[in-house]
This record gives sequence, C-alpha cells and structure tokens, in this order.
Amino acid sequence: MTAKKELRGGLLFAWGANSYGQLGLGHKEDVLLPVRVTQGLASIGNIKCLVGGGGHSAIITELGELLLCGHNHKGQLGMGHKQEVLYFCCCPSLQGRIVVQVACGWDFTLILTDDGTIWTCGSNAFGQLGLPQHLGESTLPLPIETLNGNAVEIAAGLRHALAVTEKGLVFQWGVGMKSLANRGLQTLPVPAFMSAREPYEVPGLGHVKVKHVSAGAYHSACITDEGCLFVWGSNKYGQLPSSDDFLPLPFFIQPHHFEGEKVTLVCSGWTHMVARTEKGQVYTCGRADYGQLGRKIKSIQDSMCKSNVIQSRFTPEKVSELTGASQGNLKN
Amino acid sequence: MAVYHDEVEIEDFEYDEDTETYYYPCPCGDRFAVTKEDLENGEEVATCPSCSLIIRVIYDKEDFMSGEVIEAPKATKLELVKS
Repeated sequence: MTAKKELRGGLLFAWGANSYGQLGLGHKEDVLLPVRVTQGLASIGNIKCLVGGGGHSAIITELGELLLCGHNHKGQLGMGHKQEVLYFCCCPSLQGRIVVQVACGWDFTLILTDDGTIWTCGSNAFGQLGLPQHLGESTLPLPIETLNGNAVEIAAGLRHALAVTEKGLVFQWGVGMKSLANRGLQTLPVPAFMSAREPYEVPGLGHVKVKHVSAGAYHSACITDEGCLFVWGSNKYGQLPSSDDFLPLPFFIQPHHFEGEKVTLVCSGWTHMVARTEKGQVYTCGRADYGQLGRKIKSIQDSMCKSNVIQSRFTPEKVSELTGASQGNLKN
Repeated sequence: MAVYHDEVEIEDFEYDEDTETYYYPCPCGDRFAVTKEDLENGEEVATCPSCSLIIRVIYDKEDFMSGEVIEAPKATKLELVKS
C-alpha cells in the first residue's frame, strides 16, 4: 500500500511501495523516507484530498481538478489507455468538471463530481463499475446513470463500491462479497445487493439518514446523521463488532461500545475498522497482526487460517495512545 | 510451519488465460500468484513476487487433476482376446 501524507501549505510528500509509480515521483523504486512530490503539481492549487488504491493514487485540488498516477493495467487512471503513469497527471476527460471526491478500490476508481454524478473506471470483473451493460474494464470514466438520486459520498472496497445519496440512502454494487456471503450464510440466501452489478439500495437503512460510508475488503460501514454506526459483510477477522461470521444486513452497533458517544467518522482497512467519536476518542477492531489496531491486544486467537492472526473480536476498543499501523486503510 | 497471510478460496482468485495463472490481491500492492500447473500438481501456496507474504489456496484438488485418462477396457474387446 502506498503511504502518503498531505502537509499544511499544500506540499505533498510520498513514501512506501512504488511498484507502479504510484508515488508520483517519476520512477518505480520503493521509497523509504518521505520525498517531496513536485512534478506535475507546479501549476495546480492546493491539494484538498489524497487517496490510494491497490497500486494507484489520486489527488483533488482546491479547484476540483483530479490528478492520478500509478498502476493502470485495467484503465483505473481513467486516461483512455493502460500504461502506467509515473507522475500525477490530470484526467483529460473530466476537465471542466468539478471533482468533489475520489475513491480508489483495488484496480478501479470512483469519482464524484459536484452535480452528484458518480464516474467509474478500471476493472469491472466483479461489477464494481456499476455499469452492467459495460463488459470488461473501462479506461475512461463513465457516468453511472442508474443511481436513484444524487450522490453525496462514495467509498470503494477491494471489489465493491458504496454511495450515499442526498436522501441519506445507501447503495452498493460489485459482487466482491458474494462468495464470502455464500459460504458465511450457508443455507441462507445471499441478499440481492451483494450480487448486484449496478447500484442497489442496501436494505434495513430506510428509517435512518446516512451521512458517511466506508468500505473494507469485504465489509461495509456507515454512520447516520445521529451518529449511529451500522456494519455489514465479512467478519472473518472480527472487523465487525458482532459474534457472527458474516452479516448479510446492516447491523446497528450499540452506543455503549463507545461510552454512549456519537460516532462521527468511520474508516476501513482491508480487515479492520477505525471509528472516531464526537469527543475525539478512537476505537478499533479487526485484524491486528500487522499493528493495524494501533493499540495493545489483550487476547491472541488462532484465526481460521492457522496463521497466528491476532485479532480483537466482537468489541471495538478505545485507542488510548496511537502507536502506528500497517496494512493501511483503503480510504487513506 | 509456514505462516500464511490468509487462506483464500480459488473462486476468489482472478484467472488470467494468457498466463494460465490465478491471482489474488496482496496488501503490498502486487498480487499473489499460483499457476494452473502448480494447482494440478497439488501445490496450495500462492506467493507474491514483490514481498514475503504467502497465502494458502483452498481448492478441490480433484478439479485440477491432470493425470492421464485411461479408459476402462470394454467387455467386448476382452471377450475377443479370450477367444
């Protein structure tokens, strides 16, 4: 995963894995210490937002311009070709549009413009572009026209995607969770929204207004305007505070897990989840063997895969002192 | 004993017909890979070319068996030999 940081004053520094030029430094050597990224960034405004996918990176400027670099074998940079791009370059087909959010999945990209339209490019092997009529990958961003309402927030998982609309409804597409759902639910049917290749409303959230969504490798989470946290999908590593291995529908996490505080932010890594409360407390749960949870782990359990995976199951726990993490978040 | 990063079912891999290889995302940004030939030989480890992580592939070995197919002799032929 690419590790990057945005600094005050709009300077961009990059370090970490660089197999596909995703650091935007003009080469493909891994970088062990932060290096300032300058090429391609001279004439743009301040950087507002920075995200990374499997091997690609994207930034949005204050003016709403989108720049991308890195892995492009499925066309995930949206530049009309499949060559790697070693410097941050703007996405020509979106020039003139104001980009408000970008979300990078493993090998696909979601782009939200200020008119509430979601554009997608890259791999469609799992229906993650939300364009069932489009066979194969797309090297250009294509608008999703079947979303019921204007989108206000997007999130990309490993092989699935999420959107929140103005009305506070959540839509999911991409079949990434389907095989885990099949196995986890055994004889129970897999919900339709987990096997949809176009936006499908996530059931069980009609009575609340969702503000934020987050996607892990095989799980999803959302927060309502009242600070309630809902989660669904795979719980293989205890990333969802539940005793079930798989949650087919949104599951409400009781506020007592957060000492009664409202949840104001939720972020997901592949197999862990981080939540922040209104008073700034940070809670984590899920896989812990690479330090993902940023706190000491009380119990060590063998996981299903005999790999001595350390995990904290069932309950999110407060992080008293953040000590660093690896296997970074998909949503940086 | 090898420490696996994860255990992944074969159906969650992406198959590339050109290289006859199954791929699965590795958290380092590269991909775990295992060839069809490896699976036919009973191999159950997929490796990442860029980092030290490995995963165990869960699959039904019988689905990938590549042994020679020997047809059972037909009864009529056996009778011919006897006579």
